[in-house]
Amino acid sequence: MASVNDLTDFYYNELYPELKILEAERKRVKSKVTLVLGSIGIATVSIAAVIGKNTGFNDTLFFILFAGFGIGGFVYKFMIKDYTAEFKQKIIRPLIRAIDTDLRYAPLHHVSESLFSHAKLFTQRIDRFGGNDHVKGTMDGINLQFSDLHAEHKSTDSKGRTSWHTVFQGLFIVADFNKHFLGHTVVLPDSAESTFGSFIGNWMQSNNYSRNDLVKMDDPLFEKEFVVYGSDQIESRYILTHTMMKRLIELRRRAGAKLYVAFSGTHIYIAIDYNDDLFEPKLFSSLLEYKAAMAYIQTLHLATGIIKELKLNEKLWSKH
Amino acid sequence: MTALIIIGVVLLALVLMYNSLVGKKNQIENISGSVDAVLKKRYDLIPNLVSSVQQYMAHEKGLLNNITELRAKAMKPDLSDHDKITLDKEITSALGSILVAVENYPDLKANQNVMHLQRTLHEVEAQISAARRAYNQAVTDYNNAIEMIPTNFMASMMNYQRKEVFTIPETERQNVNVNDLFSKK
Repeated sequence: MASVNDLTDFYYNELYPELKILEAERKRVKSKVTLVLGSIGIATVSIAAVIGKNTGFNDTLFFILFAGFGIGGFVYKFMIKDYTAEFKQKIIRPLIRAIDTDLRYAPLHHVSESLFSHAKLFTQRIDRFGGNDHVKGTMDGINLQFSDLHAEHKSTDSKGRTSWHTVFQGLFIVADFNKHFLGHTVVLPDSAESTFGSFIGNWMQSNNYSRNDLVKMDDPLFEKEFVVYGSDQIESRYILTHTMMKRLIELRRRAGAKLYVAFSGTHIYIAIDYNDDLFEPKLFSSLLEYKAAMAYIQTLHLATGIIKELKLNEKLWSKH
Repeated sequence: MTALIIIGVVLLALVLMYNSLVGKKNQIENISGSVDAVLKKRYDLIPNLVSSVQQYMAHEKGLLNNITELRAKAMKPDLSDHDKITLDKEITSALGSILVAVENYPDLKANQNVMHLQRTLHEVEAQISAARRAYNQAVTDYNNAIEMIPTNFMASMMNYQRKEVFTIPETERQNVNVNDLFSKK
């Protein structure tokens, strides 16, 4: 697999002609967007000011500001649609091919909701589910797929107003796992212990009735970062060897975000909570900027790198 | 009224402590059963391994006899926890020696049956290691409960004794690298 350095070279050297064309396109779209959104903003504020002057602050005024904001968002999405599609086609797709030619990229698809639910990483009900940038294929004999995902939960207050809450937004990866197991094990960020200390946190964790049994692990560093629930105390430890625990700590450090991992069926599921839509072009920063390029490359490298990082390609013992 | 509430709270605390101690003891018994199951899996593999390698390993006859004897001892019913732990350590070490010795016999190393046995044994070893770790955690929880205040008073009344943990050899903390194992010349 190509290293981060190889991919950075590829980005700047091989994609340079496309980057130059796209960068000119970005500047053009940016000035158009600034002009149109600016006009919508001025119009909204002007209408709101006139209405506000005549009627005072009321629901109509609130509605106008809200509508102005909504229209602005819709127009923005519409205006950058072509540029986004071109960016994914000309930059993200070649980057994925440079990692491995067997990987297939579908910008408008995502990992299925059934796989997301099967992982049982999040206990809230999911009412809205979406995503994009689906990458699927086989690397080193391991089936792998990942995409951006956004799972939301709906709540209604006593006045009947609905609001949406993000359950998970970020990178979701599914890969074959290299050991036989029958049960379900989840590894979650340890928020209870880090918030309430080890005594109360531990008590809360062992009384989490929405999960299987608490599995206390014998690696203090791992225990500090994660909490494990499993349907079988022995099986969870069979999966989470000392080496695997170290690898997961390292993966969390590299991801720089909350890490959720599930082992179920014949798969490992990894959710990295970036709280952001990844692989999207940034309209207000240059495509030639090093930081922006690195964000795409590192995310792709992290997602495809889990096979090597977690040594999933070492099909252990009797698993073929 | 106040006295009744105090008595009620004290009784509730006593019941909770009692139940927690019994729960911890039962958890050890439950996991101990699983440890026995995986150990038995390993004992069942030993005769196959010995019969597959003995005609090649004339010089390691002592090693093979030793492991056969250890297996016979381990198969005896009603072994104490202490004996089980001691025998497990000895068998782990003897099996390790046999698998290392296999490396010196190129014919044996290439033998499909032995290769399959090696793979199965390594998988069972990983399961045993996980079972030991689960057992040790259950024993640690139990030992903590019988030594810590206030459950230690209740534990001494119930005559609960400390239990012994399995010690895992340092080498087993590393995952066996199968690629290395099979690519050795």
